[in-house]
Amino acid sequence: MVSNISHYLNRFKACLKIDKTIRDGVAKELYTHLEDKRQELEEKGLSREEASKIAVQSLGSPELIAQQIYETHAQGSWKEALFSASPHFLVALLFTSYYWQNIVYVLIIVALTVSIAIYGWQRGKPVWLFPWLGYYLMPVVVTGILLLSLPQGWGWIAALIYIPLALFVFIHIVRQTARRDWLYASLMLAPILVTLSWFSSFGTGNEFLTVSTLWASLQTNALWIVISFIALAGATIAFIRLKPRRYKIISLLIPPLVISLSVITTSRGSIHPWSWLILLFSLFAFATPVWMQARAQG
Amino acid sequence: MNYGRELLKGNTDSLLLYLISHEPTYGYQIVKELEKRSNGYFQFKEGTLYPALHRLERDNLITGKWQILLNGQQRRYYYITTKGQQALAARLATWQDFSTAVKAVMQAETI
Repeated sequence: MVSNISHYLNRFKACLKIDKTIRDGVAKELYTHLEDKRQELEEKGLSREEASKIAVQSLGSPELIAQQIYETHAQGSWKEALFSASPHFLVALLFTSYYWQNIVYVLIIVALTVSIAIYGWQRGKPVWLFPWLGYYLMPVVVTGILLLSLPQGWGWIAALIYIPLALFVFIHIVRQTARRDWLYASLMLAPILVTLSWFSSFGTGNEFLTVSTLWASLQTNALWIVISFIALAGATIAFIRLKPRRYKIISLLIPPLVISLSVITTSRGSIHPWSWLILLFSLFAFATPVWMQARAQG
Repeated sequence: MNYGRELLKGNTDSLLLYLISHEPTYGYQIVKELEKRSNGYFQFKEGTLYPALHRLERDNLITGKWQILLNGQQRRYYYITTKGQQALAARLATWQDFSTAVKAVMQAETI
């Protein structure tokens, strides 16, 4: 039989989506408090069960304590917020200045992203890491999409070899991140979903993405792409700085609105069926946190 | 609005800093000490203490350390930092000024 105290602490831990080490530390602190109270009440003549029940009641709602603890630990500093948004600003800069056409600039940014992502991963996964990690995963996704654009037949053969390997790496990192907090997984996946949305719009009519349409589309839509990544940077800053969890979720829903409007406006509705599918998948992935939150509260 | 509760809410951090500045202490002892010193006036849901302690720790006003007692039990003791002592001194000065001003106004009315 699960005791009142264990049940209380399980409820507390289930609601508190912060770093596991901090969460376990606070739970241990609450446990020592409850044990002290229980022992004191038992010394006054109450039964163990009655004492545990009163101890739990005097501590108050575990959900409320979890929410207040979350708000204490969930707000990052301005420095963290700006550093988290930096990769989005860098990509926006690439497109503002047409630096994306210069392989040297692109390689510098890729090397920087990979170094920062590995550094952050090894330093206990601080909150600023996740957007960088998203860009770290980007080449994995983009390569998979580009393989599909190879000449007839070859694309599928390459994809069949590549996709299982890429999925393994991808799922491993997403699972590790979601275990910490699924909102961080959304923050991490956001740049990939933005990129997927844009890739999806580059195929026109009956033609899915090709290298020729890709370069032409990147040039034509550079301004809208910049706006998308600036929106993502703004949402990231808001996500890091806001305390209440529901506001963090709302901040994650701003980019898909901006991006969907941009993609639909620039493509004028002429999108390949596969592209529609990718766009819908991206929007669904963006909306997942809201669904998860509603489920957690229900 | 419960005026007493609002006053307590606004001064919880100062009360915690004051108690911790006297001696390193832990959550349950703080609750008992607050009740004892205020003759039972300060009573609140005990769980609300921990978010306040963690907020003070985040702001580097106090620091928490786990300690193992002789009976093997572990407790997280809180210590005031230099920054915390400075913050407490400033808050106490403000409180004294405020309290003196309130008393002066109230006494002037009742004389």
